[in-house]
Amino acid sequence: MTLAPFRNRRSAHAPDEASEGRAARRRTGPDGVERRRPVLVLNNVTKTYPNGRSALREVDLVVPEGDFVFLVGQSGAGKSTLIKLLIRDELATEGQVVLDGDDLARLARRKVPMVRRKVGIIFQDFKLLPTKTVRENIAFALEVTGTSHGRIGPAVERVLRLVGLTQQAGQYPSQLSGGEQQRTAIARALVHDPRIVIADEPTGNLDPLISWEILQLLLRINELGVTVLMATHDADVVTALRKRVVALEEGRVVRDEVGGGYHRTT
Amino acid sequence: MISFLGFSIRRAWQGFWRNAAMSLAATATMTLMLMLLAGFWVVQAGLLAGLDFAEQKVQVVADLNDNTTASALTTLENEVKAQPAVRSVEYISKDQALANFRASRSEQGQDDLSTYLQTNPLPASLNVSLFRAADYGPVADILRADPNVQRVTNIADLAARLTTISEFLRTGGIVLLGVVGAIVLFIIINTIRLAVLGRAEEIEVMRLVGASDAFIRWPFVFEGALVGLLGAVLTLGVLGAAADPLGRMMVDFFQILPLRVGSISRDVAVLVLGTGLGLGVLGAWVSVRTYLIR
Repeated sequence: MTLAPFRNRRSAHAPDEASEGRAARRRTGPDGVERRRPVLVLNNVTKTYPNGRSALREVDLVVPEGDFVFLVGQSGAGKSTLIKLLIRDELATEGQVVLDGDDLARLARRKVPMVRRKVGIIFQDFKLLPTKTVRENIAFALEVTGTSHGRIGPAVERVLRLVGLTQQAGQYPSQLSGGEQQRTAIARALVHDPRIVIADEPTGNLDPLISWEILQLLLRINELGVTVLMATHDADVVTALRKRVVALEEGRVVRDEVGGGYHRTT
Repeated sequence: MISFLGFSIRRAWQGFWRNAAMSLAATATMTLMLMLLAGFWVVQAGLLAGLDFAEQKVQVVADLNDNTTASALTTLENEVKAQPAVRSVEYISKDQALANFRASRSEQGQDDLSTYLQTNPLPASLNVSLFRAADYGPVADILRADPNVQRVTNIADLAARLTTISEFLRTGGIVLLGVVGAIVLFIIINTIRLAVLGRAEEIEVMRLVGASDAFIRWPFVFEGALVGLLGAVLTLGVLGAAADPLGRMMVDFFQILPLRVGSISRDVAVLVLGTGLGLGVLGAWVSVRTYLIR
């Protein structure tokens, strides 16, 4: 897999660290097989909400750098809770969630924003700010993390080109189609040069053709070296792409296979 | 630091105008509440000034024997003046007393009864003005002990009543001001909370893209300060425009009150600006805090 082009570009925050870090993180094991550094590790994770509902039970999951993982399962299976744990919106009741080497439960509160900058998150409802243009929505992600003005412009133009929205940069979300709105959200998620992109039902609000466009974009981003974890209900997409599939059912991982289909086990 | 401040102030300004309806509603609430607070403060200050004026009018009057010599009078006058509670001492001669009596009868539109008298029955007197009515005791004692003093008017009742009213107004005023202040605080904080709630999505996006607490909080705090300042300036503008007609009305109503308009308006300006700014900042701080706890 070719990882370099995207990650090797000058990042807004760490100009050359990304590519150098990647080379250092790729290790060859004693058996000569290449081992990739895990971006995400869930170790025996259980999440029980205060009302007693168990959302996740003893979940083990390792996502190595550069993987494309589908997270599937019916509503209420625990996908959303898992994503909340990954962005530290919630804390695990038991077990460990480690993101790029940081144990999220042990993280000091003031360091939480730093970890969130390593995650690019995309939602079904886009979560774009209606009073800002496409360019402003993307730049906003850098402005609010204290990035200098001189670095924001080039970083925004780079992701606009990547998602193909250079022409629409001056438009407001209400003037865009659903697919364009989602591409804006993807650009915003990428502008920090994240370690992992987490997409929560990114095609849930889009028609099939546009859904495929968005998926192509996520695949391209993955080819550029960014790890992608995508929660979805879309059986056609999952089955057609033959990527790694992690299936959740009642809070447990019931299947974790590479090249699998959607295959509901019910 | 400068870029952070620049960012926060710029975002506060944008936030204010991009959610103009909510911001203006918050500013209008702030203005109304500050006017309520300032109005209450002015009334309270007016009442207390009136009360001070009434207290100054309270006099201990000592009627003197007709045969009091000038030297004895001077001695007594000096002794009384030496008391710290005494503001001034005035000697009213028999003739002056009669003139005053006639003037007061004619002011009230009544007949001058003194024309029926062969001699002037009114005694000369020493009228002692006090700083505070409650301190009349020692002064009255000195006057009573003097052999030339025929009679000392008993102002015990009047002094006690004035003290009671004065204490009631002062304590009640502070309590009421506290209650009004608490209501104002509650309403303003809730209005700003509503304004922040309207921008919950923006705050959520900021959190998700990894903005630090300071970057999320300070633009809202500056925006709260802007709402507070704008509300305060509007309030002072309205009060300034209304001050003259209101002042005239107050003077007409209370007759001549020595209201020190200068010092009251300075106090009101400080109160309104301080409260507006403080509540704006506090309201925004508390409202955003809800989102930052996670």
